[in-house]
Amino acid sequence: MQPSLREDYLEAIQHFAMTTGHSPVPHDLAAVLGKPEQEIRSDLEDLKESGDITITGEKTINLTMTGKSVGECVIKKHETLQLFLSEILGMDSTTASSEACTLEHSVSDETVDRLGNYLKKTRPSGNIIADRQKPVVCGFTGTTCDESCTPLSLLDFNEGDELVVRCILGQSCAKRLLDLGVVPGEKVKIRRKHGKDALVLQVKGCDVALSPEIAAAVSVERYP
Amino acid sequence: MKIALLGNPGAGKSLIFNQLTGLGIEVNRYPGSSVCLECGNVCYKKEKIEIVDLPGIYSLDGSSDEEILVRKFLEQAGADVIVAILDATKLERSLYLFLQVAEFSPRIIAVLNMIDEAEKQGLIIDVDTLSARLGVPVLLTAASEGRDIDRILPLALGSSRVVSFEVPYDHHIEAALKSLEKTMGTPRYKNLLALQGTGEDPMLLDSAGAVAHEIELRHRMSVRQIIATNRHNLSRKIAASAVRQGDRKKTYDLDSLLTRVFPGVPILCTILFFLLLTVFVIGSWMQEIIVQTFTTYIIVPFVALELPPLLERIGFSVLVALEAGLGIAFPFIFTFYVGLSLIEDTGYMTRAAFLADRAMHRIGLHGEAIIPMVIGFGCTVPAVMSLRILKTRREKTIAAFLITLVPCSARTVVIAGIVAAFVGIAWAFSIYLIVFVLIIITAVLLSHITPGEQFGMIVEMSVLRRPQARLVLAKSWLRIKEFLFIAMPLLIITSIALGLFQYFGLTDAFEQLVAPITVTLLGLPEYAATALLFGIFRKELAFETLAVLAGTADLGSVMTAAQLYTFAIVTVLFIPCISTIAVLYRQLGARIAILVSIYSVFLGLFIGAIINMLIK
Repeated sequence: MQPSLREDYLEAIQHFAMTTGHSPVPHDLAAVLGKPEQEIRSDLEDLKESGDITITGEKTINLTMTGKSVGECVIKKHETLQLFLSEILGMDSTTASSEACTLEHSVSDETVDRLGNYLKKTRPSGNIIADRQKPVVCGFTGTTCDESCTPLSLLDFNEGDELVVRCILGQSCAKRLLDLGVVPGEKVKIRRKHGKDALVLQVKGCDVALSPEIAAAVSVERYP
Repeated sequence: MKIALLGNPGAGKSLIFNQLTGLGIEVNRYPGSSVCLECGNVCYKKEKIEIVDLPGIYSLDGSSDEEILVRKFLEQAGADVIVAILDATKLERSLYLFLQVAEFSPRIIAVLNMIDEAEKQGLIIDVDTLSARLGVPVLLTAASEGRDIDRILPLALGSSRVVSFEVPYDHHIEAALKSLEKTMGTPRYKNLLALQGTGEDPMLLDSAGAVAHEIELRHRMSVRQIIATNRHNLSRKIAASAVRQGDRKKTYDLDSLLTRVFPGVPILCTILFFLLLTVFVIGSWMQEIIVQTFTTYIIVPFVALELPPLLERIGFSVLVALEAGLGIAFPFIFTFYVGLSLIEDTGYMTRAAFLADRAMHRIGLHGEAIIPMVIGFGCTVPAVMSLRILKTRREKTIAAFLITLVPCSARTVVIAGIVAAFVGIAWAFSIYLIVFVLIIITAVLLSHITPGEQFGMIVEMSVLRRPQARLVLAKSWLRIKEFLFIAMPLLIITSIALGLFQYFGLTDAFEQLVAPITVTLLGLPEYAATALLFGIFRKELAFETLAVLAGTADLGSVMTAAQLYTFAIVTVLFIPCISTIAVLYRQLGARIAILVSIYSVFLGLFIGAIINMLIK
């Protein structure tokens, strides 16, 4: 599957979920993307194989953590570009939107970030990026996400689970965790966990005991 | 020549230091135990070599006392050669610190310690590859067996090198480092620290802060996280190139028992209970022998000298202080230390901290605070000293109040000698119960009113291993020396002061003065006030003084059960002993020391009065 096609799908799924509040079925996507449902179904199979989505029950499409972050990233690029094209360069919004649809696949993260910063400076009340102001890290695949991902913390997993660290929220406790090797992208394992209380985390071959409030600051996802 | 040992906590620095210098310094198995620099001299090939043992740290760019100390040491090039002690079983994590040290460009050699453990785990380490990758000589050692420790000095003196490579950071960081170097003219390591907000030069911090902010916006990740991730990635690469996992012997994982709620918590309780029981049984037995011997062979002959009264009083006070010091230090505190060191050296303490975390959270602390509390059962003085392992002032303050309430071995003597002997065993336990309830109430109260931020527990679990008798004894000996060093002079001074107090006939005046409190409020005989006063000096002396003043060892015949019970509980709660106040002052300042003392006086009198009223 073409990377741009994949991004289009993930963007559409995420956008649908964000605007309607529930996950789409293939029929919804067909309406949004203007493609035959048959074609969409076969593409969705590919996406499922590449680990971007899961399909549950009545063909409801849910994004995985990776899929979701890619989707959100593309949406953000789209919004930033569209805003730039329409507000700064003065294009009409429909053209700006379709132009953004093409550009969003090739533009780099850095360009979008800089555009975003530029927009923020020129239009201080700008709200597109303003509500994404407190971004959190998720550096291991090079993608970015923000708090709207509602990341799962160590406390949401069970003893024996193998996980990958996405980011560490909060500054005060972060230092020691970083030193012990709890860094974004690191594979860790929960060795022992007592309900919502303290847990023992295995990281870099060492066992580290963490208080629950510290564990809650470590955002993780399941090791694929 | 000066060489310094540097490494993670628990990597074996102190042990290696001991073997290099023959000096005894404590080897503690909970992280962050040695905070000051330990130095020792050795003679090698007719040259005097000074060896410094730096405190164990995980990183160089933090803000804890240890990290600042080591950073300053490296900045000022405090040593000619750095011996980096790496843990062979955790090479990747050890290299993270090594890479940071290398940034300060000292001459360095790497010592891979605990190679015996690594062999047990089936790790095969390729020394040549590692040495080539790091650009410094690498030596394999096993400090617990003393293997190849003698090769450290020749290697450090003969072939130490400056690490030539640099950690490749993210290109934005690299660009920032270059531009700072150009504009500010500061070295790379300083710029790296400044980007993370550490440093003393305001100009540099300012420009670095601006760049760091931009990088953070772009990466959506703090500069600290980026730098740490880059360093960890390089460590991983180096470790992966040098370590192979061979056949691993299947060993039984004891943690499947120790860190589960069941049977972990019962095991924890059993261990603590047996520790205290053993200390009590052995302690009482030894104390009797020591006190009897001392009285028969020293005090009695001294009294028989019939010196002038004032001189006799002073000499007598000094002897009583010595007797008190020896009578409590060796039987109880030394025995307790042996038991404690034994438990610590197995690595069990970190398991205890993990299990206790939940309960400790309820009282505004976290798991690590269990260590000072347990030590408090032996003696409050070292317990207060161990408060340094707690990170925030809030935790230290709360823990300081609680520790002074924990019944130490001297208070156990009072409870056993007065209540268990004359009132009944069940009543003795009821005192413990009251004390524990008071500890919990105090803790809950303090956790609400103490200012400051709560900081959770992040503690590395020590590897479980068999303790070695020699090390346990050496460590206990050092600790008891530390105790005697602090407590003995105070004991002697207070003893003389109280002796003179009695000599000039001030005792009666004092008893009259406080009679409203002793007699009316607490319902005790007048002379109990003097006994309580002696309790400030050393808790179980209150009990002994009471016997002397009452004129009989059979206290049951002169005081009622209610009076004895009240006396015991007031003694247990009432004001920490003078040595405790002294270390509180040293560790936490005058304010806390005074507050703790006032609180305990108030608590002792208050509970004593309530019990007096209830029993009447």
